[in-house]
Amino acid sequence: MSTVSQLALLFIGAALVNNILLTRFIGLCPFFGVSGNMETSVGMSLAVVFVMMMASSATWAVWEYVLAPLGVGEFLYIPAFILIIASLVQFVEMYLRKASPILYRAMGIYLPLITTNCAVLATATEAAKPGFFKMNIALGASLSLGEALIYTLGVSVGFGFALVTFAALRERLDLAPVSRLFKGSPIAFITAGLLSLAYVGMSGWFGL
Amino acid sequence: MSEWMRVFRQGLSVENPLTVLMIGLCATLAVSTQFQNALFMGLAVIFVLTMSNVLVSLFRRVIPDQVRIPIFIVVIASFVTIVDLVMKAYVPSVYQVLGIWIPLIVVNCIILGRAEAFAYRNGVGLSIADGLGMGTGYWIVIALLAVIRELFGTGKIVWFESTLISLPAGYAPPSLLLLFPGAFFVFAFMIAGARLINERFEARKEGAA
Repeated sequence: MSTVSQLALLFIGAALVNNILLTRFIGLCPFFGVSGNMETSVGMSLAVVFVMMMASSATWAVWEYVLAPLGVGEFLYIPAFILIIASLVQFVEMYLRKASPILYRAMGIYLPLITTNCAVLATATEAAKPGFFKMNIALGASLSLGEALIYTLGVSVGFGFALVTFAALRERLDLAPVSRLFKGSPIAFITAGLLSLAYVGMSGWFGL
Repeated sequence: MSEWMRVFRQGLSVENPLTVLMIGLCATLAVSTQFQNALFMGLAVIFVLTMSNVLVSLFRRVIPDQVRIPIFIVVIASFVTIVDLVMKAYVPSVYQVLGIWIPLIVVNCIILGRAEAFAYRNGVGLSIADGLGMGTGYWIVIALLAVIRELFGTGKIVWFESTLISLPAGYAPPSLLLLFPGAFFVFAFMIAGARLINERFEARKEGAA
């Protein structure tokens, strides 16, 4: 069933129509935390794409070959997945520091933060054990590894896109005259609301 | 005892996790479309937060500093699993809506943050106060947000299929409030409101002194 057009729909659905930040509210902490300036949000987005891809492949494999065959998935998946992600991030950090200092400088400091980013856990869980998000696409009860990776890529690219857009808006917001009570975070929330409105407008595209 | 109350009250007001510290927002905004769901989400957070605070605080002298974060995560994940399975068994209709948000309590910054910043450094009694205070602060804000969104977004508040309050029939509810942007707008006004109240409070305190 994995024709090219279906995979493309899966990608677009995950990246735009069901954007994880603005239509699902997952991963809002970094969204408000690092969007203060453009540079950090680009670094964070790169790190998220990278970690999500690794995390999804790991949880997919563990679910498929360990948890599901043993029949313990239903009650062990939460601790198992979060531990996999936490240790994976730790290893990636150590490896990057040794092997690629340039990449480490670009996204190193964001890696530990990502461990507790709910977007990573949510996406990795969805990739391994679909059903929570009700993606409205004929995918069947489980994804193949390829589908899981395309889905994860879509989610993480959508995350990065929304984060960078929001950071650009917030940089302009610093210069705007805002009422005293709304300065800082409240106006940021209203901006996020307007941005989210734009994404809601996309619901229904391609029947997603 | 006064110390206990002080810690408990801190979570409600000056260190409220949602309106002041602004952590753990994802689940809050997502599940606050219905009062009933928000109430259960708040209960789940209070339970996990208090229990993990107690456990972390009990073992704080034997947990090695270097591996404390993974240990905290395992503790939290176990309690979250308990909540996950209990809710699935006893309130399936709520579980269906809360869905992914229950597992995501594991990575809710509030819980890991309190384990790290409070329970790891304080005794059991105070940790319970902190867990209950922070949890209740969370509960109040999420319930208020849900009441506003449900009442004005649908025109009534529903509790397990029976209507509690309903607005006059002529009211045409703006569905924007129920959609995702509505959560952002209402929450922005709530933060501004909390700021206004805190400011008034400070001013009165200064006037009295």
